[in-house]
Amino acid sequence: MNVITYQHERTGEVCHRVDHPSGLTIFVCPKPGYRSGYAAFATRYGSIDTFCLNGQGKATPVPEGIAHYLEHKLFESEDGDAFARYAATGASANAYTSFDHTAYLFTCTDQLEDNLEILLDFVRHPYFTEETVQKEQGIIGQEIRMLDDNPGRRCLFNLLRALYTRHPVRVDIGGTVESIAHITPELLYDCYHTYYDLHNMALAVAGDVTVERVLAVADRVLGTDGSADRGAAVLRTPPVPALAEPEAVAQDRIEEAMPVAAPLFYFGYKKAIPEREAGRLQTPAELAGAAVLCELLAGRASPLYARLMAKGLINSSFGADLFDGPGYAAWLFAGESADPDRVCEEIREEIARLRREGVATSDFEAARRAVYGRMVAGLNDVENCADARISDCFNGREPFALIDEMAALGVQWVTERLESDFHDTCSVLSIVRPV
Amino acid sequence: MTDSPCFEPLAAGARALSLPADRFKTARLTAALLLPLSEEEASSRALLPFLLCRSCAAYPDFTSLNRRLNELYGARVSAEVTRLGETQALVLTAVSLDDRFTLDREAITAECAALLRSMLFEPALENGRFRTADVEQERRMLVERIESEINDKRRYARRRCEELTCEGEAFAVDRYGRAEQAAALTPERMTAVWRETMEQARLLLLSQSGAGAAAADAFRQGLAQVSARSPLPLKPVPAPRGKAEVRRVTERMELAQAKLVMSFITPAAESRSGAEEVAALRLMNALLGGTPHSLLFRHVREKLSLCYYCASSVDRHKGVLLVDSGVEEANAGRAEEEILRQLERVRCGDFTEEELEAARRSVVSQMATLGDLQSTLAGWYLGQANRETPLSPDGAAAQVAAVTPEQVQAAARSLRPDTVYLLAGEDSPA
Repeated sequence: MNVITYQHERTGEVCHRVDHPSGLTIFVCPKPGYRSGYAAFATRYGSIDTFCLNGQGKATPVPEGIAHYLEHKLFESEDGDAFARYAATGASANAYTSFDHTAYLFTCTDQLEDNLEILLDFVRHPYFTEETVQKEQGIIGQEIRMLDDNPGRRCLFNLLRALYTRHPVRVDIGGTVESIAHITPELLYDCYHTYYDLHNMALAVAGDVTVERVLAVADRVLGTDGSADRGAAVLRTPPVPALAEPEAVAQDRIEEAMPVAAPLFYFGYKKAIPEREAGRLQTPAELAGAAVLCELLAGRASPLYARLMAKGLINSSFGADLFDGPGYAAWLFAGESADPDRVCEEIREEIARLRREGVATSDFEAARRAVYGRMVAGLNDVENCADARISDCFNGREPFALIDEMAALGVQWVTERLESDFHDTCSVLSIVRPV
Repeated sequence: MTDSPCFEPLAAGARALSLPADRFKTARLTAALLLPLSEEEASSRALLPFLLCRSCAAYPDFTSLNRRLNELYGARVSAEVTRLGETQALVLTAVSLDDRFTLDREAITAECAALLRSMLFEPALENGRFRTADVEQERRMLVERIESEINDKRRYARRRCEELTCEGEAFAVDRYGRAEQAAALTPERMTAVWRETMEQARLLLLSQSGAGAAAADAFRQGLAQVSARSPLPLKPVPAPRGKAEVRRVTERMELAQAKLVMSFITPAAESRSGAEEVAALRLMNALLGGTPHSLLFRHVREKLSLCYYCASSVDRHKGVLLVDSGVEEANAGRAEEEILRQLERVRCGDFTEEELEAARRSVVSQMATLGDLQSTLAGWYLGQANRETPLSPDGAAAQVAAVTPEQVQAAARSLRPDTVYLLAGEDSPA
């Protein structure tokens, strides 16, 4: 079995990558001194995957929210649900669905092998009936209604709908009460068989673990002869490039009224992704650079932050981030403000100023150190260590590449990005106003 | 099991607690100022930590301070206000990369500890008082923080139910106080509040770094500068007063989903009962609604499909248990009936050994994982600030391990239904 060990000197972290004969990619990150073990078993399948292969191998569109619905239903099997099995070990289990992947997780302090066995087993054994699928309508319906009342989330999803015209990132991860009503056991099975192939999945375990302990369970549950899954081309179906997204935004402004105290806003600049690069992911260097640029633009030490604060236009919820995934990327500024339009003007002016005056080396250096320090601090968290391995794996990045890129980053990347991105014609302001 | 750490005295009413941090990449220092929650003073005190952490004598303005923190590898000093029963905790936390992990091996943790100390004991004053612009900015943000509590509907509904349950008691006072109060704060007032707080607050310094002893010394010196230090004594938290009959309140706003919150009061609580009773309360809560295999999750969510969440939580300082769920308004009655039915089962011991053991394992396991995150461990020990000696997570787990089914039943029997609060949409169902 092929085991690659990444020994990261800068941080003292170790990570082992195993290409398991079953087709599954496994990461093990031992964290000496930690008492908990955490595992995430994930598939490269999320809400942006709006097609599945039917029984005849033909790509068929599926209802919005089905990846998330499938995540809920996988916990059930013919003889009870996975939570009941975890109850016997004391592990704390959960799952989530994002735009581009679905993950099943647990945290435990003992019986790691038993918990891993439960995890690998229930995710590998779908069981959907008319009755159980029906029952979930009420539960997920309430989850959707709960999220409908979340103003920050509404503001973000409104922004995405305005930024993108075709890319499925514009669709809510959970779908709607209406769309999930069309979900059937057959569709769930088709999605399952399309995306829950071990070759399309990864397992990451961190904390009080060793490679040997993890592999013993994987060998036993998944087999070692590679016959568990067909290993067909199961990546995004059809691949995201087919949904090439125009450079222009769908609309430049979107507003909604909700019971909130003060207006919430998201202001986004869509990054152009040329058609030949559609589906392309941001490289580690790009992500490292993006984090530093966001710190320079909108961090607490930035002139913009000081100006907006002095004018009473923002509070401590203000910040910037690069939002990215397969075939989409956007610079987002978010916060709460009595006057979101003026905040936008100030952001535009700050970008113009930086283009004009350039970024001072000392400013860049301080921002780079800050982001580097926070990234290394993130390694404190066992969950974060495993989740980062999954995300890196699905996005074609080597473990710890981001931290190393950060240590090596130069100011030029930031200057170039300031020129190439942030076009006013590709920007959207989304506001949730008080009723 | 690890040894329980001990409080070390720093000055009158001031203690330090040092926790090992070798396995972490960061050094974390938490300073908590503890005062009795008071309706009149809640806002002025709540403003203080936010005001203090935006500058200090050496870095008198927000931008230069944050620039320095960025150079210190993104070190952060943040303010927070929390409530421990009827104690208001004003918390300043400094987190920085441990010296071992800086790019050029620069030593930065000592400087961060010095900054934190300086913020508390040597704030940036001008002509002997806080600067107007600083107070105005922080005051505005405090008002916004108070007003935007309505944005999170679940949290807001829980908070309303607590207020209605303990109306007229200190427990009902919001940790940030009231917006009108906050809006009236002036630089003169805040300067006086700072002096009073330094004199009257009890202080807990938690250090999670290799430099705990140095930080304790720095704070000892800082405390020695406070001239008339006379910390207010800690009083036991009185039991909730309760009502002759269950109070039902419905409030409406534009919502997609109704929030049902039911409160129950109990005489059992940390400062009033034995450790066994508190442990029984913890375990009973887990069995009832603290896990995804609890009675409430399995029955209200999984069996009846009424909701996405239905959970219980207990405030062990005051003795208030809340059960909350997000439901269609038309289903709120059914959810309430089922919640009461499940509670009744715990009261009469109608649960299996397997169910109880699952709840116990889950609590014990949560306690054991607490120490793997510096922030949660700091939160745990902050929760011990009102005790004479701190209880470690392992100590609490051992207590839960010893709870009998009869004690769980007794804990459930001690609960008295108090308030049923419903936050619902504008249009009530026909």
